[in-house]
Amino acid sequence: MFEYLNQVQNIKTIITIGSMALFCVGLFGLLTKKHFIKIFISIAIMESSLFLFFIGLSYNSSLVAPILTKNHQNFSQMNDPIPHAMILTAIVIGMSVLALGISFAIEYYKVTGKTKIDEMKDLRH
Amino acid sequence: MSFKRDISTSSLSGFTLSAILILTILSILIQNIPKQITTAGDKLLELNSQEGVSNAVTSVVVYFRGFDTLGEIAVLFIASLGIGLMLSNNTKCDIKAQSNFMLKTAAKILFPIILLFGIYIIVYGHLSPGGGFQGGVIIASAILLLVISYQNFELSHKIIELLETFAGISYVLIGLIGLIVLDKFLGNFLPSNISNMGMLLSGGIIPIIYIIIGIKVGSEMSLIVQNLIRRAQ
Repeated sequence: MFEYLNQVQNIKTIITIGSMALFCVGLFGLLTKKHFIKIFISIAIMESSLFLFFIGLSYNSSLVAPILTKNHQNFSQMNDPIPHAMILTAIVIGMSVLALGISFAIEYYKVTGKTKIDEMKDLRH
Repeated sequence: MSFKRDISTSSLSGFTLSAILILTILSILIQNIPKQITTAGDKLLELNSQEGVSNAVTSVVVYFRGFDTLGEIAVLFIASLGIGLMLSNNTKCDIKAQSNFMLKTAAKILFPIILLFGIYIIVYGHLSPGGGFQGGVIIASAILLLVISYQNFELSHKIIELLETFAGISYVLIGLIGLIVLDKFLGNFLPSNISNMGMLLSGGIIPIIYIIIGIKVGSEMSLIVQNLIRRAQ
């Protein structure tokens, strides 16, 4: 039933369409929602869609994961390890940016009592 | 001047149409990807079979891109510092929802198991999937369980400070020793025999650096979690 998934192109098309759909969900939330924390969550959804896209494009079903096991004793016929390492970096950076942004939102709420982005008129005259 | 962000149906349909167009173009491009291409990762895999550990992702993160990982840890430290500065008014406020008996008992039972699992993930980072970042986050989740279940629980700032300072300084020191001994920052100066590949003691400095990263990430994430929960209200 799922034989067409063994073809690399087919599964990469599915990954592309799915992750871009997830990106559009995040973009829609970013454009329409007004609460601070919902906006930050939308940015996190867009980020995770890009992680999926990057990892999925480096996937090849005929190769194995880049780890030595009992059945695979040499470093040939392995997937590319560089995208994994780069996405590991990007996840940590994204997490710290998200936490810092949420703490800014919390502090802004504590000072002014506002939670919506269209109430932010403190610097406008 | 109103800042209302209303989205009309015409812009919504335009958004959908452009999304479909981009998807079509991307999938046409992907259908034409060549099957066999040599990437930079293949060269790194060849290098890794001569000097390295059995998890190629770990050796890329810690050894080939070790300087980037140092910068990444600096970013994490700055984020933790910023959160501590932002939420720094020391008004101690109690969480409104009191934790019940079941949560307290479950936290007591689960905390050592989660902590042990995090340490296992860190120590075996060069042999199996996992490593310093993942294990550090697992340790921070154990701390999160304690913070939400016990109102009086507070991490000792002295210990966290000590752990963080130790981890940061020893990372840079190991890099500098590599620079002195092998003329290469983060050079692998400890004996790393290829025949030991797959054992727990293998790979020279790579497991040591990943343990250091685990200590650093665990303490910083625990501090972030505690700050966001205790001081956010």
